Amino acid sequence: MIGDIVLNFFRFFLLIFIQVLVLNQIELGGAINGYLNPYLYILFILMLPVNINKSLLLFICFLTGLSVDLFSGTSGMHASACLFIGLIRPSFLNLIAPREGYETTLRLNMQGMGASTFLVYASVLVLIHHLILFLIESFSFLNFFDLLLHVLTCSITTLILIVLSQILTQKNREAIS
Amino acid sequence: MRNFILIIRKYNFFILFLLLQGLCIYLLVQNTTYQKEKVISTSNEFVGKVYTGYSDVADYLKLGITNKALSEENARLRKADSASFYDNSFRVIRVNDSLFKQQYEYITARVINNSVSRINNYITLDKGSLQGIQPDMGVISSNGVVGVVKDVSPHFSTVVSLLHSGFKVSSVIKKNGYFGSTVWNGTSPRFANVLDIPIHAKISIGDTIVTSTYSGIFPRGIMIGKIHQIGTAGESFKEIKMLLSTDFQNISYVYVLRNIMKAERDTLEAKLEAIK
Repeated sequence: MIGDIVLNFFRFFLLIFIQVLVLNQIELGGAINGYLNPYLYILFILMLPVNINKSLLLFICFLTGLSVDLFSGTSGMHASACLFIGLIRPSFLNLIAPREGYETTLRLNMQGMGASTFLVYASVLVLIHHLILFLIESFSFLNFFDLLLHVLTCSITTLILIVLSQILTQKNREAIS
Repeated sequence: MRNFILIIRKYNFFILFLLLQGLCIYLLVQNTTYQKEKVISTSNEFVGKVYTGYSDVADYLKLGITNKALSEENARLRKADSASFYDNSFRVIRVNDSLFKQQYEYITARVINNSVSRINNYITLDKGSLQGIQPDMGVISSNGVVGVVKDVSPHFSTVVSLLHSGFKVSSVIKKNGYFGSTVWNGTSPRFANVLDIPIHAKISIGDTIVTSTYSGIFPRGIMIGKIHQIGTAGESFKEIKMLLSTDFQNISYVYVLRNIMKAERDTLEAKLEAIK
C-alpha cells in the first residue's frame, strides 16, 4: 500500500517533469506544427490503482491537470480535460471489466491488462482528454475539421509514447524479477 | 430536507465533479479577461525559477544562433552610428533638442519560455515589475513585433505572443499608409493575416507592414512582416497573408517597450469613453 503511494508519487513527478520540460518544448514548425503535441502526463491518471476512491480520483485528476496548467500558462484547461477522464474512468473500467471483475492487485498497465485491453482503455481516455482539451483551447478559432485532425494526430502521438513507455518499463520489471 | 441529503449522498461523485469543473471554468474565464489578479499564471515565481534553469541550458545550446543575430544587429547599429559617417558639414550647428522628447524606453529581457505550436501561445520573460515592466507593454525583438505583456510578477512576466488567437495589432502598409489589423491564422508560426485593408489599396507582394500608433503600445514603424500573398475577402476588403519578420521559433532576447506618455494619452481617451 505504502509502496503503491510512493510509486504513484514518483510517477506523478516524473511524468509532469517530462511533460513540462521535454514534451512541451518540442516546436516542430512547418506544415506539421501543432499536429504532433503529445500529452503523455495523463498516463499517470490511467495507471492509478484500479480500486481507488472515486472522489479521490477526481481530486488527483484536478491537481494533475492544474500542475500542467501552471507550467503552460493555461489555467484550468488541462484541469478541466483531466476531470472529464476522472469522471469517465471508473465507469469505463467497469464496462471493459472481465466477467469476474477486477482483482484488487491488478495493475492498470500493458502487462497487467493485456495489450489489446490496455490499448482500448488508453485510446478511449486519451481521445476524450484531447478532444476536450482542444475544444477548450480553440473554441471557435479552428474550424471543426481542423480541430478533429488536431485531436486525432495528437492522440496518436500520445498513444505511441504511452505504448513505448509501457514497453520500456515492462522490460525492466522482467529483468528485476 | 431528507430527500435533499439523500440526493447529495447518491450523486456526491458527480456533484464533486461539477464543483471542480466549475472551479476550472472560473480559472479559465479569469485567464481570458486581460490583466486581472490571478490565482495562477506562468509568472508565478516558482514556475519562473524552473524555467530559468531550463533556459540556462537551452540558451547555451543556442549560443551560436544568438551570437549571429546579435552581431548582425550590432553591425546594423554601428552603421547608423554617427562615428561611421564622414562629417560633411563645414559649419557646426548646435541644436538644443527641445523638439524631440523621449516617448519610448526599451527594457531588454531574456525569453525563458516560449511556444509556437499551440493555438494560444505565450512567452515568459526573466524581467518583471521590479525592472519596470507592467501589463500592456509592447514586446519586440531585433526583427520585429513579438507580443504584448499580459502579467507580471516581481521577477518574471508573461507575454501574449503574436501567435495567439486573441492577439490583434493595428498595422499600416508602410508604402501608402493604409491601415488594418494583424491577426494570426492559427497554423504556421511564420505567417499571419492582415485584415481590413480596403480593396482599392494599391499593394504588391513584398510590401512592408509596420505598426501604427493607434494602440499606443508600439511606436510607429516597428516591422511586423512582408506581404506574401494577396487575395480578396468579401466585396470591400483584401485578404493578405504576411510573412512575419520575427522568427518565433528562435527568439532569445527581446525588448519591452515602455510608453512614457501612455498614462497621459489613456486619461485623455478615457474622457471620450465617459461621454458615450
